[in-house]
Amino acid sequence: MKLPMQICRLPKTVRRLFCFHKDVPMKKIITLILTVFIVWSCTSDGPSGPDVDDFDREAILVNWADNIIIPAFTHFSETTGTLHSDAVAFSEDPTLQHLETLRESWKSAYLAFQHVSMFEMGAIMNYRDFLNTYPTTADSNSFNPEEKKTILENIETSDYNLELPSTRSTQGFPALDYMLNGLAENDDELLSFYTSDTNSENYRTYLTDLTQRIDVLANQILNNWTDSYRDEFVSNSGKGANSSLDMMVNDFIFYYETLLRKGKIGIPAGVFSGTPLSTHVEAYHSKGFSKALFNEALDATQKFFNGTHFDSNQSGESLSSYLDFLNTMKEGADLASLINNQFNDARDAAESLNENFAAQVESDNSLMLSTYNELQKNVVFMKVDMVQALGISITYSDNDGD
Amino acid sequence: MNTLKLSFLILISTFLFSCDINDNNTDADNDIEVPATYDFTRNGQSTVSFSGQTARIKMSDELFSAMSDFDNTTEELLLQMYRNQTQDGGNVDPFSEANLNSSDKSIKSKVAASRDYFSSNASLSADVKNDFETWLSGQVNNVFPNRNQLAEPGVAGQIADGSRERYINAQGLEYDQMVAKGLNGALMADQMLNNYLSQAVLDEGSNREDNDNGTPDGDSNYTTMEHKWDEAYGYIFGTSANLANPILTIGSDDIFLNKYIGQVSEDSDFETLAQDIFDAFKLGRAAIVAGNYEVRDEQAAIIRESISTVIAVRAVYYLQAGKKQIDAEELGSAFHSLSEGFGFIYSLQFTRIPGTDQPYLSQNEVENMLNDLLGDGENGLWDLQPSTLDNLSQQIADQFDFTVEQAASN
Repeated sequence: MKLPMQICRLPKTVRRLFCFHKDVPMKKIITLILTVFIVWSCTSDGPSGPDVDDFDREAILVNWADNIIIPAFTHFSETTGTLHSDAVAFSEDPTLQHLETLRESWKSAYLAFQHVSMFEMGAIMNYRDFLNTYPTTADSNSFNPEEKKTILENIETSDYNLELPSTRSTQGFPALDYMLNGLAENDDELLSFYTSDTNSENYRTYLTDLTQRIDVLANQILNNWTDSYRDEFVSNSGKGANSSLDMMVNDFIFYYETLLRKGKIGIPAGVFSGTPLSTHVEAYHSKGFSKALFNEALDATQKFFNGTHFDSNQSGESLSSYLDFLNTMKEGADLASLINNQFNDARDAAESLNENFAAQVESDNSLMLSTYNELQKNVVFMKVDMVQALGISITYSDNDGD
Repeated sequence: MNTLKLSFLILISTFLFSCDINDNNTDADNDIEVPATYDFTRNGQSTVSFSGQTARIKMSDELFSAMSDFDNTTEELLLQMYRNQTQDGGNVDPFSEANLNSSDKSIKSKVAASRDYFSSNASLSADVKNDFETWLSGQVNNVFPNRNQLAEPGVAGQIADGSRERYINAQGLEYDQMVAKGLNGALMADQMLNNYLSQAVLDEGSNREDNDNGTPDGDSNYTTMEHKWDEAYGYIFGTSANLANPILTIGSDDIFLNKYIGQVSEDSDFETLAQDIFDAFKLGRAAIVAGNYEVRDEQAAIIRESISTVIAVRAVYYLQAGKKQIDAEELGSAFHSLSEGFGFIYSLQFTRIPGTDQPYLSQNEVENMLNDLLGDGENGLWDLQPSTLDNLSQQIADQFDFTVEQAASN
């Protein structure tokens, strides 16, 4: 009863397809219904070809875990170890030389982070939000819609707990960016916060608390992978929403769509607010590192798609090889090639961007927008075409906003 | 006749039968004139008025916001916003909007206060009113002092939900969600379904005679019966951008029933709900103008069923969302969903089965369900088992014309 009632409330054009007048000859109606049934039954079968189940899914998981994820976290934890020891050295002796060393360690660790940021499985839930929430709430001038305590308030009061989710925008790499690049206009002035300021001890403590927190998180996740999670991950090689492959593909596409496309390019370019927001670029205070971070992240996602090992150009089983195995085509073209070409097009579009995305947004935002458009095309290829071919459901969705 | 032919025949007759029921706007059998929008006039002046409902929606909205304003909110302020007076009945100005402060209306006076359900059950009414005060006080006394503490089983504090933070009590519940979602039932649905659409209210005293004669209510331009109907309308559409054609923005005009009618109607399983509700209000009001009380009551029945369904669908939706999030180990997201679910389950006791004086789930059943929700262990939501969520979802869906799956896909 319910369904036909609803059909008859559809717009007239649609309604006409289903709702016949009594004076339409019964023969015609039967013919129509028969035709519908025949067409339907003859098209329900997909094209025959290799089956998704004939592929060794575990081989992908092994390649991901052993050749990409664990090496990337190993490298990341090495860089965060150096970052922390250089921060300790600086806080014990705040010289320009130590500052410059520390800035380099910060860059290395931030670049290394771009290779692990997409991996949330086997990690502490939402760990990347503790490492890379930006814009950071540095001081009273910062973007701070929820009126959170700022970095400067944390330093002044010495009252903060970096394990609290509400402090995510005052820690991690963006907070370090502010501490190492944003406190002052020039290096002498910046150093004075760590040497002669009345709160200089608090500045030094906050700095090493930040680097320690990053290092601890990096090691926790690495240890979890190597201690036990690797085997759990690899052995969960079945199908379905709770299988490793499905969950990882969801995480990967979420990362690409939200953290990379939206966070690094879309939001600063004003795609979501209508107004360009140059202060929302990654590593804003560095005035020149945002493009390098973006390129590193783009490379990391493409390498992951192709199963390219973290520290060599060798490749193993991957989403790309899985698609090739299935001969996945889209409008006559090979889907894996389409996706790789699209990664390359996005990289080419970003080529012309200023090293400092904030400057790019302010001088010619249209180039940011065209980069965004290229990134967007791969959202469709991966989130629609690829997951359809692999029989994977996208299970994440945006928060409903309350 | 073989089975295939038979099924064709059934299929065809179903179409023909259903297509004979036209969704006509004017009923040929009587003289009801149904306007295109909710516009009704007498002597060239509008007869539609529901300012009290608009005020209470706005008060509820401010109350909800104040619950998460850690720096400025006190327990006293929340209770004053709820009562719009001091405990002793003194004047207060707790709201940011001046005309809410000067209003003699309040949220509390209309919580669990319908004629049909509570006029002879003052003790239950008081219990419900007190539940809200307990939650308001709990927010300030338990959650505020722990806001800079990590929540753990048995310990109030903050927990991450994606990139946001949620502030929960020791059982994992967010008091602000319990209050906001609970008001959907205890204030809006109860007043609408069990008070203003009630025959006891619409037909009270000489209302029918006055309405038949067009006798106005005091100095107003409307009859008492017209006004009662409009007051029901106001609890959904009182803050709509276009008060006469609220379907244009349904879902985005408040954070209470309007929002959830809009959301449920976005699901293809329930896509006519918003329009059904609006059409029923419009036709029922036109029927009052025409003095056709049978059609009026038919429309009240449609509204009762539809609003009850919205509340039930959202209850099941949030229980199922919570189940998925627990499965994905996203506890902060799960607790947020389940706090909303708690409020919607609580609201179920104010629903109304058309043609009866009963809710779809009784006060007693609701209490048991909420105990089940928090009863898998000593720490409430922290100990919750997915099977409990499935049982509760099924228990709700069993009383309605939808399945758990249909509600979960909302």
